[in-house]
Amino acid sequence: MLRTLFATVLMLSVFAPAAMAHFQTIYTPEAAMESGGTLNLKMVFTHPFEAGHTMDMGTPQEFFMVHKGEKTDLMDKLEAITWTSLTNSGAAYTAEVKTRGMGDFVFCLVPEPYMEAEEDIYIQQITKVVVNNAGLPTDWNEPVGLPTEILPLDKPYAIWAGSTFRGIVLSNGEPVPFAEIEVEFMNHPPVEGENRFQEEALAEAPQDSFVTMGIMADANGQFCFGIPKAGWWGFAALGAGPQAEYEGKELSQDAVIWIQAHDM
Amino acid sequence: MRIILATLVVAALVAMSSLALAHTPLFACYDNGDDTVTCEGGFSDGSSAAGVAVHIFDADGNVLQDTALDEFSEITFDKPEGSYSVQFDAGEGHQIDVSGDDIVE
Repeated sequence: MLRTLFATVLMLSVFAPAAMAHFQTIYTPEAAMESGGTLNLKMVFTHPFEAGHTMDMGTPQEFFMVHKGEKTDLMDKLEAITWTSLTNSGAAYTAEVKTRGMGDFVFCLVPEPYMEAEEDIYIQQITKVVVNNAGLPTDWNEPVGLPTEILPLDKPYAIWAGSTFRGIVLSNGEPVPFAEIEVEFMNHPPVEGENRFQEEALAEAPQDSFVTMGIMADANGQFCFGIPKAGWWGFAALGAGPQAEYEGKELSQDAVIWIQAHDM
Repeated sequence: MRIILATLVVAALVAMSSLALAHTPLFACYDNGDDTVTCEGGFSDGSSAAGVAVHIFDADGNVLQDTALDEFSEITFDKPEGSYSVQFDAGEGHQIDVSGDDIVE
């Protein structure tokens, strides 16, 4: 009995880290906007399906948006906040950003690499989200030029639940064949106006493989994922970036994109 | 001659189809806060609305200004006194009217 329990605990401790994937967020409640306005973006480094352990973010290296091919630095908009997850709280950022006019606004965050002590590696999740005003497509299908990024092949703000999302994993602008991608649903979306996740889960996973789904890009670095449910979905291409070392330790430079699906 | 005619027909078809494929016209206006208004046009497939006619009407439907979108599919004009509306006019079925009341900062 004791041995079984011990074995179970051991197994859980071995498998638990694999069940939860890290995801850097740039969150806003709605990606497809009728018109411009002020967005209240939430940058949190967390495990979105379970809204569990939230990691402390360092000062981001870069934060900017691209609109009609023009890059606007947003570093001075960043404001440090404390984010409350279901199990802890961590250092995060918020930013009030005004968007004006029609078109796509591609928000990009290059965070400070995070030291994952358990694995003794650094993780840097270069994250992208596209917000659209009034339906005019302008920038969503152009690479931003990040060291690593996921280039969408479907408008990431115009996805029906039940349809698909396709993308290409890029490193220095080149496709990454057979890139390893983790997919996770934002199961406890942030509570509007507060710096915390909602407690109620939107979905339940029958088993750990459904918490963080693992998929692979094909030989051309392209992937396709069926979106089963409305809400925000995160895609993280692990170690896709060109930089493999940071301060003498291994670095996993990941490309993250968030997409939003709506019910028909 | 026949070849030229055929070419012209094809060119016309291409021109027409590109317009037909342009799908939904899009038009948005905002108040710049300095007594000017900027409007922006486009099509849902991302194609340009450069040169598309824009009409500005007063409350009684009288034309205050007939103008067109610039090369960036935009136009900026002095905000009219009183009630007004702006029309994006890309031809029949491709017109959008925006009331001045909805044009805010």
